[in-house]
Amino acid sequence: MEVFLEYVLTTSKFAVIILSILILARCLRSMLSEKYESEIWGHLSCEGENYTLTHWENLIGRSLSSDIRLCYPGVSRCHAVLSRNDRGIWKIYDIYSRSGVWVNGVKVGGSGAPVDTGDVINLGGLTLKFRDLTAGDMEQNEAVRTSAGLHVSPTVTLLELSLFQLALLLQHVLSADTEHIRSIALAFVALIALQWCCYSAMRLMNRSGFEVETLAFYLTSLGMSVAASSTPEDMYRQMLLTIAAVALFLFGGWWLRNLRRTMAFRIPVAGLALALLAVNVVASDAVMGAKNWLEFGGYSFQPSEIVKACYIYVGSSTLERLFFRRNLYGFIGFSALCVVALALIGDFGTALIFFITFLIISYMRSGSLGTVFLAVSAAGLAGFLAVTVKPYIAQRFATWGHAWEDVYGAGFQQTRAMSAAASGGLTGKGAGFGWLDDIFAANTDMVFAVICEELGLIVGLCMVAAVLVMAFFAVRSARHGRSAYYPIAACAAMALLLSQMSLNVFGSLDLLPFTGVTFPFVSRGGSSLISCWLLMAFIKSADNRRDASFAVRSARKLGGEEDEDMEEDADEYVNIAEGNPFIESWQEDEYEEDN
Amino acid sequence: MRKITNRSFSLLLIAALVICGMGFYLLEYVDRGQDWALYFSRVNSGSSGLLLDRNGQMLASFGQSREEFSLDAHVRTANYHVTGDYWGRTGAGVLSRYWSGMQDFSIFTGMTKTEDSVLTLSIDSKLNEYIYDQLMALGEDTKGLMLLSNYKTGEILGLVSVPSTDPLDTEAELKDGTYINRCLSASFTPGSIFKLITAAAALEQIEGINDMEFYCEGEYEIAGVPIICTGSHYTQTFEQALSNSCNVAFAQIAVMLGQDTMVDYVTNYGFLDSHELNGINTAAGSYPTDFVGDPELGWSGIGQSTDMVCPYAMLRFLCAVANGGELIEPSLILDDTEAESIRYMEASTAGRLKQMMNYNVVDHYNGEENFPGLKLCAKTGTAELGDGTSHAWFVGFLADDEHPFAFVTLVERGGYGLSTSGPIANNVLQWAVENIKVDKQ
Repeated sequence: MEVFLEYVLTTSKFAVIILSILILARCLRSMLSEKYESEIWGHLSCEGENYTLTHWENLIGRSLSSDIRLCYPGVSRCHAVLSRNDRGIWKIYDIYSRSGVWVNGVKVGGSGAPVDTGDVINLGGLTLKFRDLTAGDMEQNEAVRTSAGLHVSPTVTLLELSLFQLALLLQHVLSADTEHIRSIALAFVALIALQWCCYSAMRLMNRSGFEVETLAFYLTSLGMSVAASSTPEDMYRQMLLTIAAVALFLFGGWWLRNLRRTMAFRIPVAGLALALLAVNVVASDAVMGAKNWLEFGGYSFQPSEIVKACYIYVGSSTLERLFFRRNLYGFIGFSALCVVALALIGDFGTALIFFITFLIISYMRSGSLGTVFLAVSAAGLAGFLAVTVKPYIAQRFATWGHAWEDVYGAGFQQTRAMSAAASGGLTGKGAGFGWLDDIFAANTDMVFAVICEELGLIVGLCMVAAVLVMAFFAVRSARHGRSAYYPIAACAAMALLLSQMSLNVFGSLDLLPFTGVTFPFVSRGGSSLISCWLLMAFIKSADNRRDASFAVRSARKLGGEEDEDMEEDADEYVNIAEGNPFIESWQEDEYEEDN
Repeated sequence: MRKITNRSFSLLLIAALVICGMGFYLLEYVDRGQDWALYFSRVNSGSSGLLLDRNGQMLASFGQSREEFSLDAHVRTANYHVTGDYWGRTGAGVLSRYWSGMQDFSIFTGMTKTEDSVLTLSIDSKLNEYIYDQLMALGEDTKGLMLLSNYKTGEILGLVSVPSTDPLDTEAELKDGTYINRCLSASFTPGSIFKLITAAAALEQIEGINDMEFYCEGEYEIAGVPIICTGSHYTQTFEQALSNSCNVAFAQIAVMLGQDTMVDYVTNYGFLDSHELNGINTAAGSYPTDFVGDPELGWSGIGQSTDMVCPYAMLRFLCAVANGGELIEPSLILDDTEAESIRYMEASTAGRLKQMMNYNVVDHYNGEENFPGLKLCAKTGTAELGDGTSHAWFVGFLADDEHPFAFVTLVERGGYGLSTSGPIANNVLQWAVENIKVDKQ
């Protein structure tokens, strides 16, 4: 019997490894082999030449990075932005050009001017004719594009993922105490059911891009495995949290479908983020290090995790707004407040993650390396202050790279993590068979080592690779974003997850100072899981392949005339806006800016 | 929009950093993963292990809480180069090589739980203690070694290198080269013991060598370069030349053989290679392989020139000669697997060499008085180091089926082989004959 069980364990160990590689390879292949064709939203003709508008927001100018590049002496480097909103209304904005912009002979002011088919735009001594797409054109253009999931079937990938989860479950059944087997099995089965429900819903919506969700579910299953190893008594909670996180992800994706709504809520979301942090600052009583969670009747909750999603929501922006400097200043101010709040809480790791995300957002928004350098030097100064003021941070820096010199003191966690990770070898000891998960905070801060010990280095590397593949996916989708908001948000979300992962993995391996941040999706912790799934909504909203993402409205439906769905959204937006001081102030704000 | 999408590549910079970081970790993992894993896994995996000598004496053990050695400091010190330590201070110990194996660690499968793994060595720790005392009796600062093995089974019974240290005594003041395992990890100028190799080559390659006569008047010129002998031996047979350890005769023999033949023999006998003793890599020796001309060739044939010999390689040679030309590969570990054996040299060569080595002892080393009761075949070596000092070698074996022992003794800068190392070898052999039970084959 024992020999047989040993055999089963070995088989399932190899199954986990092979399926991990297959799942990753399929997601990567799907990303590489599928054509990411641009959508077509309108046409501009100038001097007999025809320009296709492939985005909702198009920069017109002389510079190389313009979407409509007009190499004429009268045209400024960045001259105007021609943008379309959710309702299919096009507007042109003059972005501080030297010579101005005219539509049908009328000079365009600060608030932009609407343009429609047949309108004549004059800029820099050139005459441009604008033509919007009809519903028919739209239908035709869409028919030509390749839909997602054509080359690499997401159904098969999901089947592999399910097998992967079952193999993991099998190992836990072998290793867990009898009293916990039921709850562990239930949690895994619920996870499998959840992902198939999610997938079926997408197929019903006629959406076929499921790579991001697959990777997220893959990582979530690893997280489930860590939870089953370390806190099997808490499996029901983990299960409910996963369901809640996925539900919030779906909600987030749906919310981001409407750009106008999204933009309108930036100020309230910023307020929410600051309020959460403020509550945390007030309510926390930090003793020895960070206290970055709040407790409600036995349930703890980390505000800073939710603030991550809020931060990116607020930090991203549409193209025409990027050219007004004061918008960037507003964002810098908001970032500074967040980082200061985190510093007060003592959450050094999260502050660092926010900072890296800030760098990516501000670089993507401004394109100015100068701003980035300025920010880096400011942060260096702040970091220096933090190190001098907070002794435990200085100590972590002192330990960095010397963990083995103080195995029972400052290097306690890192050395155990490294030892456990190495003792797993390439194939691991089997889920639930490790010893590291008994160490304090192993299931959050040292989760890479837990996975390496129990499932082996190969799965550990797959886990890191999964996040990397998501990042490549975000970069790849960025090329075809409708509005600048989505690529900025997607890239910022991935920058956040990548830097968080690096701090977690390299911190536990003593290659970076140990900061105690979580590994996306895998580290145990409800707030962290929810925040990661929320961030996935940003990635989904940037995926513009034909009928790929539920977070992107089908181009066919958006073609030409306004659809009813849109109207409803617009009404809803007005309803929400009424009596909401944040939104009203935002509207005023925009009004001021426009004038 | 193109502006934004171009800037999105900045994300790839972070991704590249992550990939570099992982790459760095992988390199570190390959390099140090084993040390990391062993550090805590022993405690956490519940593995435990024992290292025993052939009589069941505990040399080292590790368990849940800590790693340990024998309770007796003398045992620890005398056996230090056999056991090595858990911290890898000395490279060639059994622990350095086998500790991970006793816990079933490999970089691919990681740690797998083992309970009560026991590794039994062929070493007799009491013999080692005796050898250690013998060497230390020459003085506190003695540097030297002794290897003793059973040439019929390949089991290494004694392996001592001095200076040694107590692995548990972290405060001990260490002498230069304490961590070097002189038996396995070093090579030395062989001096006259090398004449055994030249003699073996001559027996096979020079027809009628046994009937040849060599004339020595204390000095002999090859191409105008003098070869100095230890005395004037006048007319002597091949056998007498070896027992006289005549430099003139053996320089001439080396020249007669030619450099290519000498190199072939040195190579085939494994003197230039690093060997694997239960996975422990031994030191390689050296011999002039590039063309050197006759005078230098002459010197190389008598174990001077650039000749270097690792004691372990010499032990293999002696075992082969003692065992009729068939070498049972030496081993430090007692197990049931059959020892590997190879045809090292012609049986007739081995037989003749054995006779000659016995003749050395009987005729020249005053065997009856110096080595009473031992059927000893041996060769001395006094390897000139060019600074007036010399290594004192004494190597050989017992032509005795009841006590099939081969040995290598060396005292660094110890003077004359016979007078310094001879008595040590005698005492140790007497002790071994008395105390070590040999399984009848």
